[in-house]
Amino acid sequence: MDMKKQKNVFYLCISVISVAAVIALWYFLINVMHLKSETVFPGPLKVFYTFLQKLQTKAPDGATLQAHLWASIKVAVLGYGLGALVGVPLGIAMAWNKWVDRFVRPLFDLIRPIPGLAWIPMFILLFGIGITSKALVIFLGSLIACVVNSYTGIRQTKETHLWVGDVFGATSGQKLFRIAIPTALPMIFTGLRVALGTAWTALVAAELLASTKGLGYMIQQARAISRPDIIIVGMLAIGAVGAVFDAVLHLVEIKVAKGMNAK
Amino acid sequence: MIKKKNISDKTINVACACISIGAFLFLWYWGTAFTKLGMLIPGPVEVLETVTAGFFGKVGRHSILVHVGYSMIRVMIGFIVGSVFGIVLGLLMGWYRIAEAIFNPLFRIIRPIPPIAWIPISIIWFGLGENAKIFLIFLASFSNTTLNSMAGAKNVDREVVNAAKMLGANERQIFTTIVLPASVPSIFAGLQVAISSSWATVLAAEMVRSSEGLGWMIVAGMNNNDMLQILSGIVMIGVVGFILAIIMRKAEDILCRWNKSGN
Repeated sequence: MDMKKQKNVFYLCISVISVAAVIALWYFLINVMHLKSETVFPGPLKVFYTFLQKLQTKAPDGATLQAHLWASIKVAVLGYGLGALVGVPLGIAMAWNKWVDRFVRPLFDLIRPIPGLAWIPMFILLFGIGITSKALVIFLGSLIACVVNSYTGIRQTKETHLWVGDVFGATSGQKLFRIAIPTALPMIFTGLRVALGTAWTALVAAELLASTKGLGYMIQQARAISRPDIIIVGMLAIGAVGAVFDAVLHLVEIKVAKGMNAK
Repeated sequence: MIKKKNISDKTINVACACISIGAFLFLWYWGTAFTKLGMLIPGPVEVLETVTAGFFGKVGRHSILVHVGYSMIRVMIGFIVGSVFGIVLGLLMGWYRIAEAIFNPLFRIIRPIPPIAWIPISIIWFGLGENAKIFLIFLASFSNTTLNSMAGAKNVDREVVNAAKMLGANERQIFTTIVLPASVPSIFAGLQVAISSSWATVLAAEMVRSSEGLGWMIVAGMNNNDMLQILSGIVMIGVVGFILAIIMRKAEDILCRWNKSGN
């Protein structure tokens, strides 16, 4: 047991050293060797200073980092929330009821191979560059992931469990809510997490193309004026928010789907 | 008796699919031909005509097939390089604890950043040409395959490994004859995700900066207020996405024939 603990500490040290080494190498190549100019590849210190600066100043893209962040999160949560609210029940209904499956699935299969962000140009033409078009793109992207995973989850219900329900005289509703949905919960959560990833990606794409605020807008503007330090700050912020969202959803999953192979 | 029932079930499915898709097409046609919606969105007949015309004529500088070719070549190069790197790194991280300790923290910093968020910085680093796009697709396929190969190598049955050790297999033999084949189903799951993520990424990259490809086609449609071009682009994007998914599934069927649960 003690041996194992010692080993874990050893590996943790290696991990810390590895990250530190990469940052040191980054600093060395850019700031000491001057391998690339800082206008192309900024060093770690410059990125850090830019981060601190961007928290206070609105230049050069018209808003602070927090303002961009908030704008992005608002749209993402709106589109994602709608997608999950429609997608999960739809997936469950398709898997539970043969007739829903027969009529809805062909239509669903039709839009499924189209990545959510391919709709961006159409929605921008129809609804402008405001919140509606972006939320719709995110809605479509997360809808697909939610439907696919909820559908698979419900389909995994063991028939024997349903028979047990039949034997004890469960109604169809009871079988759905007491047997099938609990069985499907881990898959439903997988879907929700995949959907969150696609939602965040689609949002960044939409903001890159046409927007007036948001993190995607910020990095696109920074490219136009050649400020890679701002781009890297924006990318790290995008990554951090994605990671935080995912961690929150994971916590909810552990709470709701107790012990059901929630890793 | 059973066979007969199966056939009729299939006929019902096909009939329902025809009805629902037919109803959708009819609604689309009716809505665009007889209401004011027609001012905004072209009908299905016009879209079909534009697609067929695009095959022989030109959209922008090339025919639709050439645009598809451009997008596909970008995806293929980036996807192949990215997945080779991803599979190697993922297997190493999944099997050797030391490799995991070194690379996993770095990987976990990079992974939450969607490939699309790399678009601005890749343009600064690699310019507007092909390299930037291939780099993005490399990233998209790399992170997905790494994650799944790692999970695959981690979940190798310990008893099989111990049996091999007992029979005197060395480290290299265990890795190539047990870990590698046992991870194949998981690797393929990663490749499936990677190909659809690459497809979405190439579209985004082409939408931001390009002068050919399907992503260019829809974004040029947006800039010229040409809804027909956007919709025919979306149709082609769906068709190609569908074909890519089918190819991957067939390859998996052939290579993982031994794996009964892997479907």
